[in-house]
Amino acid sequence: MFGIASTTDNALALLTEIGLTEESNTSQLRLLAQTDSRYLKDLKINVTNALNAETLNKKEVYLLAYAVAVNEKNEALQKAFSDFAMKEGASEKELAEVVSCTSLLNANNVYYRFRHFMHDEFYNNAQAGIRMSIMANPVLGKEFFELVSLAVSALNGCELCVTSHEKTLVAHGSSKQRIQDAIRLTAVMKSLSVLL
Amino acid sequence: MKNVVLSIGSAFPEFNKKAVVSIEKGKEFYDLSYEEIKNSGKWMVMFWWPKDFTFVCPTEIAEFNNHFQDFEDREAVLIGASTDSEFVHAAWRRDHEDLRNLKFPMLADTSKSLANELGILETEEKIAYRATFIVDPQGVIRWVSLYDLNVGRNVKEVLRVLDALQTDELCPCNWQKGEATLVA
Repeated sequence: MFGIASTTDNALALLTEIGLTEESNTSQLRLLAQTDSRYLKDLKINVTNALNAETLNKKEVYLLAYAVAVNEKNEALQKAFSDFAMKEGASEKELAEVVSCTSLLNANNVYYRFRHFMHDEFYNNAQAGIRMSIMANPVLGKEFFELVSLAVSALNGCELCVTSHEKTLVAHGSSKQRIQDAIRLTAVMKSLSVLL
Repeated sequence: MKNVVLSIGSAFPEFNKKAVVSIEKGKEFYDLSYEEIKNSGKWMVMFWWPKDFTFVCPTEIAEFNNHFQDFEDREAVLIGASTDSEFVHAAWRRDHEDLRNLKFPMLADTSKSLANELGILETEEKIAYRATFIVDPQGVIRWVSLYDLNVGRNVKEVLRVLDALQTDELCPCNWQKGEATLVA
């Protein structure tokens, strides 16, 4: 417009936003950029807004995004968000705990989802028999560990896990706005991981 | 004089004015009409400042420029405006380091007719207050903010408002029982 040509490559703009380069570009993103897709712009706005949630600090934002990347086995995003998290002061121990938490919750999500599907007395009373010692004294702090657990459970669609972790968080004093921001971040990161 | 600012729900007035779009010789000026913006089917964000060559202004204008892409991503045409002439705009852009690479047009409301219609003229000097308008693709004003001469704006707040105005939850997941179903 106004005699000024616009030459922005929205795929690259999106990658830059999350600290990635052309190297991480994919055929899906290129297709969207070439067709000047409205969705690509929306996605970039969703990502920027989710990463700037007011109730989460930067370190928490990147650790949550890292958990999503681990859960989705997305290496480009794992690299991007672990780098960002470390820049914000996250220790290797904390990153390791996010990895452990995400992995453990994958076990729990499958196991408790089964229980919830069955509504059967035998399974309800049976011992899970899954070791969960990392839940005891998390270096991330109990509240944030729960928030990561909730995010992973929402990703993997376990109703019993989602409702339980949400309840624990609220009882712990977390605001619903914070929980909502964490889940929106999780949802948006998942949509990003589909294209990378 | 009583100021009546054109407010939410009003149609944004038509205009056709000179604007500075570049500092390249021969490409500086452009006849900017509201019709062209309306025909593009986009939103418009127009922000005003009192005077070229003053202090608060360049910081604020540079900040809008830093977020130019964010407005473009939101399908919004960004326009800066003051009551200075196009020649003053061009001179200021050449003169000030932060303004050389502006990506949006600087509108010259030299006759002050648009500022007057918008109701944003300060009574003493007849210069524009720091007004910001968000106008939807139908030409309806959806948000107005008006700051006194020396108060700077927060561009992120403008983007937040634009997001809120544009974000309709279209997903059927959000239907509440009893609500009308999705049309169009």
